[in-house]
Amino acid sequence: MSMTSGINRTPLLGAIVGCALGVFVLQNGIGTQPTGKQYESVTETLKNGNTRTVKKLKAGVATPAFQGISSSWQRDFNQGTVETQGLSPDQLLFALAGFREMIAGILWVRADSFFDSGNYDAILPIIRLVTVLDPKQIDVYATGMWHIGYNFTDEEQRSDRRYIPSALALGKEGARNNSLTYEMFFETGWMWYHKIDDDYSNAVKWFELAQERPDMIPARRNLITNAYERDGKVDKSLDTLFKLYETAGKKAKEDAAFGNKQNRDTLENKLDTTLVRMVQRGWFAGKDGRPLTGYDVNPPFDTGFSAKVTVTEARVLRFEGTWNVLPVGTRIRAVLRDADFPNAKPAGMEWDFSNDVNLDPPRDKTFMQEQLFVRNQRFNKKVDMSKDPTMYPFTSKDYVIEFYYNPRSAPPHIQDKFSWNGEGFTDKNFLNTQVREGQRVMYTSVKISKDQLLRRGDWREKVPVIKTANYLDKDGKAYNQADQVTIDLPSLRAN
Amino acid sequence: MRPLAAAIETKQLTKTYKSRIHGKINVVDSLDLHVEEGEIFGFLGPNGAGKTTTIKMLLSIIYPDAGEGYVLGKEIGDMSVHRLISYVPERPYYYEHMTGLELLKFYASLFGINDQALFVRLLEKVNLHRDMSKTISQYSKGMQQRVGLAQALLNDPKLMFLDEPTGGLDPIAHREIRDLILSFREEGRTVFISSHELSEVELICDRVAIINKGVIARQGKLTDLLRGGRVEVTFEGVTEQWLKDKGMRDSHVRTIAGGVLLDTTEEEDINALIDAARSNSGRIVSIVPRRKRLEDLFIQTVTDAPAAAAKKTITVEESTSV
Amino acid sequence: MFKPIASIAATTVGEAIRRKVLLIILLIGVLFLVVAPGLGMLSARSETTVLRGMMLGIIQLTSAVIAIVLTVYMIPNEIERRTIYTILSKPVQRWQFLVGKYFGAVSALLMMMTLMTSVLVFTFWLQQRDASAIPDLIKAPVMYFVQMSLLAAVAIFFSTFVSPLVNFFLSGGLYLLGSLFAPFFQTLQESQGTPQAAKIFAQLVNTILPNFANYNIQNPIINPGQQIQNESSYYLQVTVYGVLYIAGLLVAGTIVFDRREV
Repeated sequence: MSMTSGINRTPLLGAIVGCALGVFVLQNGIGTQPTGKQYESVTETLKNGNTRTVKKLKAGVATPAFQGISSSWQRDFNQGTVETQGLSPDQLLFALAGFREMIAGILWVRADSFFDSGNYDAILPIIRLVTVLDPKQIDVYATGMWHIGYNFTDEEQRSDRRYIPSALALGKEGARNNSLTYEMFFETGWMWYHKIDDDYSNAVKWFELAQERPDMIPARRNLITNAYERDGKVDKSLDTLFKLYETAGKKAKEDAAFGNKQNRDTLENKLDTTLVRMVQRGWFAGKDGRPLTGYDVNPPFDTGFSAKVTVTEARVLRFEGTWNVLPVGTRIRAVLRDADFPNAKPAGMEWDFSNDVNLDPPRDKTFMQEQLFVRNQRFNKKVDMSKDPTMYPFTSKDYVIEFYYNPRSAPPHIQDKFSWNGEGFTDKNFLNTQVREGQRVMYTSVKISKDQLLRRGDWREKVPVIKTANYLDKDGKAYNQADQVTIDLPSLRAN
Repeated sequence: MRPLAAAIETKQLTKTYKSRIHGKINVVDSLDLHVEEGEIFGFLGPNGAGKTTTIKMLLSIIYPDAGEGYVLGKEIGDMSVHRLISYVPERPYYYEHMTGLELLKFYASLFGINDQALFVRLLEKVNLHRDMSKTISQYSKGMQQRVGLAQALLNDPKLMFLDEPTGGLDPIAHREIRDLILSFREEGRTVFISSHELSEVELICDRVAIINKGVIARQGKLTDLLRGGRVEVTFEGVTEQWLKDKGMRDSHVRTIAGGVLLDTTEEEDINALIDAARSNSGRIVSIVPRRKRLEDLFIQTVTDAPAAAAKKTITVEESTSV
Repeated sequence: MFKPIASIAATTVGEAIRRKVLLIILLIGVLFLVVAPGLGMLSARSETTVLRGMMLGIIQLTSAVIAIVLTVYMIPNEIERRTIYTILSKPVQRWQFLVGKYFGAVSALLMMMTLMTSVLVFTFWLQQRDASAIPDLIKAPVMYFVQMSLLAAVAIFFSTFVSPLVNFFLSGGLYLLGSLFAPFFQTLQESQGTPQAAKIFAQLVNTILPNFANYNIQNPIINPGQQIQNESSYYLQVTVYGVLYIAGLLVAGTIVFDRREV
C-alpha cells in the first residue's frame, strides 16, 4: 500500500461509474421515447398579454429526466443544424463554439450598413448566413424576404420578379423553422397577397396558417378577410369578419384600451361596408337564384381592351391601348418574358416552385412585368429595358408578350361594377376563362423574336408594331407609319 | 517490524526514476535512515543527492518504489501522522496576497485550528509580530523563511522537516533561523534538516547522515564522525629520539624552535606519554588538538568513494561511540 | 473533512481575483458589454435581438476564456511555486485539495460572471428601459455558469496530468467539440443516408463528450416568440447532467492526481 498512493481506489471507480451512468441516462435516455400522444396543447399567456399554444408533455406520462437531454432539446427547441459555408475562419470558430447567435448579430449589423449604402447585392449572402446561423431570427427572415422580393429593381423601379421564388422559399423556410409563431406565415402570405397579387388562394392558405398561431396580433388578423374576398370566398370573408368582430368586442369589454376599442370599431365599419357591398353587388340575389336585373353587375361590362406595342428602339417598348373603364384605378399587367422561361404560366410563373433558397436567380433569363395604369380610358407607357442588361439579358431567341387583367385585383369602386369574381366583367375580344381556373379575366399573348426586340437583322430598319385588331389611335384612326410593320395580337373575334 | 522511539526509520527505501537516456536511475537507493526523537538531524548531501526526494517520500508527496519507511512509528502514507509533523520546503513561496496573520490562519484551518492568540504568539516567536499585517509580497526572504517556520509550528509538531532552511539568507538571518531551530529542540521537537551548508549543520545538529548519489555514505553522531583527529604536543626537556623510541603509531616527531613536536592521532594514549615525559624531567609547552571538520569529512565522503559503485553504507555504529 | 476544502477554495478565490490576466479579460468583456448597445442601430426589434445576442455572446465568450485560463494554471502553479507541498504536508487529502481548488475556481468564476451579468442587466435596462425582459435575460448567464463549471472541471481534470499550454488547447478544443457535436449529432441522426454504424459511433461520441451545447439556451431568449417547452425541467435536467459530469471528472481527476508525483 505504501508503495503507491494512499487512497483506496475502488469506491472512486464506483463513483465514476455512477456518474457516467447518470450522464448516459440524461444524454441518451432509457426506455421509450415519448410519442406524440403524450403531448397536449397548452395555451399560455405571454408577457405582452397575447396567448400562444405550445405542445407540452402531459404531466405524469413521462418523466423528462429519463428522456435524454439531446432528444428533449431536439424536441423542445431545435436550434438548427450547423452549416458553415461562407463563414470566415474566425467567424466559423466562434459559430462552432456556440456563439452562433452572436455572429449572426454581428453579421446583421454589418448588413444594416449595406442597407444604408444601397449595396443590396452584398446583403443577400449575409441574410442567408444569418438565417443559417440563427434560424430563429424571424426579423432577418422577414426583412430578407421583403428585401429579396421588393428591393431588386431596374432603373425604372420595376421589381426583378425572377427573385420571387427565392423570397417565397426563404419565407417558407422561416415558417418551418419558426412554426410556433405566426410571423413568417403572415409574411409569406403577404408576399402572395401584395407582391404576387394574383393567386390569392395561396395568400389565404398562409394567412390561415398564421391565424392558427395564437400570438398573432389582432390588427393583422383582419387582413385575412381581404384575402378571402380576393380569393372569391366572400361568404367566408363575411363569416370571419363576424367572428373577428365578436372577439374584438369581447376584448374591448374586458380591456377598454384604446387599441382594443379601435380594432372593434374598424371591424364594425368593415363589416358594415362588406354587407352593403354584398347587397349592392347582388351577391345575395345571385346566391338565392334571383334575377340580377337592376344590379350594377348586370349585364357584364365590356372593357373593350385594345393594345399596341411599338419597339421604338432596341430593348425599348411603348405600350399603348384602351380600356373603357372611366374611373381611375385600373392596372393592366403586361409581361415580356423568354418563351421558354422556366416554370412560366400565363401572365406569371409558378412562383412557388422552389423550396431551396437560391440567391442566384436565372440570370440568363428575362422576365419583365409592368403595370399599365389607365387614365381617361387609355394607357401609354414606355418601358426602357436597355439600361439593365443584368435584369433583361435577352439571351433567348423567342419571347412572349402578355396582357392580363384580373377583376379580383380591382379596387372596390371598380369591383362595384365587376363584382369580386368578375361576374360583371367581360371583354368581347379578350375574355378568358381558362388561364385562371373558374375566373373571368382578360388575357392575350403574342410571340416576338429577339431580332424584333433588339431591332437587329431584318428588323434593323423596320419597326415592329404589335396590335390588336381593334386598336385605334386617339383620333379614332388605325394606321401605321411608313417603316412600321404590324404583328397581330390574337383576339376572340379574330379567332 | 515497527521500531519504537525512532522519529524516522527507513529500510532500503528506494525511489527510481526512468530517464530516456540513462534508463532507470535510483535517485534514492536502499536508504536506511534512523532519526531519534528529540534530536536535530542533519541530512547532508550535494545538490541532486536525493535529499528532497527522501523528504517528499517521508511526507507521501511522492511514493517509494521499494523499501519501507516509518514516520513517528507510522508507515509512510498514513495521513494521520500529518497532524504531528510539519514541513518547510526549500525556498518556499506563500500566497503573496495574504498577510502573515492570514497565512497562519489559512494553514491553521487545514488542521481545523482557529486560535488568534496562537497565531500572534507564533509570530512573536519568529519576530514577525510587528509585520503581521503586511502582505507576504512585502516580506524579505528571511521574513518569508520565518513565517514558514511559524506556520510549521501551528500544529505543535513532534517532527519538523526543514529543507535548506537557511538557503539564500544573509548571515544575520542565518543566525535568527539557527536560534529558532535550536529552540525547537529545547521544546522537545525532532528536527530533520536537509542542507548542504555544513557550517550551519555542524553548529546545531546532533547527528547527521551524508547522502551522495542516492546512497547514504555516512551516518552517525557528529562527535563520532569527526573523531580521529590529530593532536600536536610540544615538549621541552626531552629529545627527539626519546619520543621516537616510545614507538607511537602514525606519529611524526621533529625538533622545532623551543622544543620537540609530536604529531599523533587522538587514539594514542597521550596522557601516558605526557606522564612519562614529565617523570623524565620534560615539560609540556602546548597541546593542540587538530579536530576533523565536517567539511573535510563531507568532501572526503563525496569525492572519495564512488558511492553508487560502493553501494555499501559506512555507518558508525552506536556501539563504537565512547 | 470539508473545512480544508473550504479554506483551499477561499484562498484560491483570493488568488484568482488578483490575477492580472483574468482581470484584463474581465475588463475587456465588461467594456464590450458597455459599448455593445452602440453597435446596433437597427429596427427596434432587430436592435433588441442583436443586442441580446451580442451581449450574451460576450458574456459566454469571456466566461469561457476566464474558465480555461483560470483553471489550467491552477495545479501546475501550485507545484511550480511549491505551495502544494506545504499544504499536502498538512492533514489534507489530495482529493480535498483538488476539490477545494475546483470550488475556488468556480466561485471566482461565479463572482466574475455575476459582475458581467450585472453590467448586462444595467446596460440593457439603460438601453431598453424594459425591466420585464430582464428575468428572461438572466436565464442565459445562469446556464452559462453551469456550462463554465463543466468546462472548469474538464480543465482541472486535464491539469492533473498535462501542462497548462497543452491543457489550454485540449480544454478549448473539447469545448468547441462539445458545443459542436450535439447539433452535428442531431443532423446525423435525422439524416436517412447515414449508415447505422456511423450513427452508433456518433451516439457513443455524443455520450462521452461533455455536451456543452445543452447550455446554449440563448436562442429563445434572443429571439422573441421562441420558447423552450418544459423549460424548468429542461434546466433541471441539464444542471443535473452537468453536476454528474463534474463529479465524474473530479473523481477521475482525484484518481490521476493521487498517483501523481508532484
